[in-house]
Amino acid sequence: MATNAAERRYRTWYAILLRLYPRPFRERFSEGMAQTFHDLCREHGHAKPGLRGLVLWIFFETSVGIVKENTVHMSQLVKTILRVALGALAVLMVPLVASRVVKGWNWSAGSFVFVYVLFFATGMVYVVIARKMGVWSYKAAVGVALVTGFGLAWSNMVHVADSGNPANLVYYSVLAVGVVGALLARLEARGLARTLFAMAVTLALIALMLPSGAPPYLARNMAIGHVVFVALFTASGLLFRHASLVGVK
Amino acid sequence: MAKKSAAQAPLTPAVLHILLALSTGERHGYGIMKQVQADSQGKAKMGPGTLYGSMGRMMEAGLIRESDKRVDPEMDDERRIYYELTGAGRAALEAELKRYRNVVAVAKARLAKGSLAHGH
Repeated sequence: MATNAAERRYRTWYAILLRLYPRPFRERFSEGMAQTFHDLCREHGHAKPGLRGLVLWIFFETSVGIVKENTVHMSQLVKTILRVALGALAVLMVPLVASRVVKGWNWSAGSFVFVYVLFFATGMVYVVIARKMGVWSYKAAVGVALVTGFGLAWSNMVHVADSGNPANLVYYSVLAVGVVGALLARLEARGLARTLFAMAVTLALIALMLPSGAPPYLARNMAIGHVVFVALFTASGLLFRHASLVGVK
Repeated sequence: MAKKSAAQAPLTPAVLHILLALSTGERHGYGIMKQVQADSQGKAKMGPGTLYGSMGRMMEAGLIRESDKRVDPEMDDERRIYYELTGAGRAALEAELKRYRNVVAVAKARLAKGSLAHGH
């Protein structure tokens, strides 16, 4: 009876200890580890006294494992951050080189830093969201959605700066729909599919409501731009839908 | 590429023992531990930290995989996750055993030579 109470207490402590593993490891193995610990305690309890010694050894051995797994996890995280930072730097080369070639492209150093932070943040968001899912369509959908959202925000920011027309800020409502939808969907594929379709519809409605006073060449370019963005948001929505159909929540 | 290199590289003692334990069929964590103990005549002592840490790396290398979650009829009514060898895991085990056989053959030949030299 006393052994049972001690065993229950050790199991509770062991469950607490397992929480110190990095999350991916914990989600995969903590249930099995807790069961194995229970099996070992029970076997030992039946065989002979001295449960405390066994428990101490397992706690020590598991603690070594925790340190090791956290070290591996941290080094992977650092590698990922470095990779994203270098990727963002590579993408930054495009506007950097363009600013040397294109006439009238006079960004300040602060603008380049701001753009680099945007590239880096977008990359990190992709890594954090996409790495949780093993399904290719979910990863692809996140990638398409982020690149399209970034492109929309970027082109709109440039357009507002050039034209000085604050009415263009209405395009940010598309991104607001995306952020709110993603939060409500808790990043689940089915909810994200709906969110991306809603973003596509919002953008299409904005395009339809635009005043038709632009010169023909500008109107044509704007129409093409809208169609491309709507198509990309829809494609991302379809990819999320595919991910939800193959079992991603 | 990762699977190929995992199959070719020398294995750690823990990985070799786990592969050996799973070579005769799928087992859950505690079952693997007991089999390792039996295979090594009680000399290899593996706790949950070493076992599951090694299994995590083996799963990433494609040497083993989760097979099922079910009740073990010889134990309680709790459902347990079972693990099994993959093709790459079996290949890695065979490659490792071949390496061991080669080492033993070389050692035997060298020792025989040495004893002959001492005899003269």
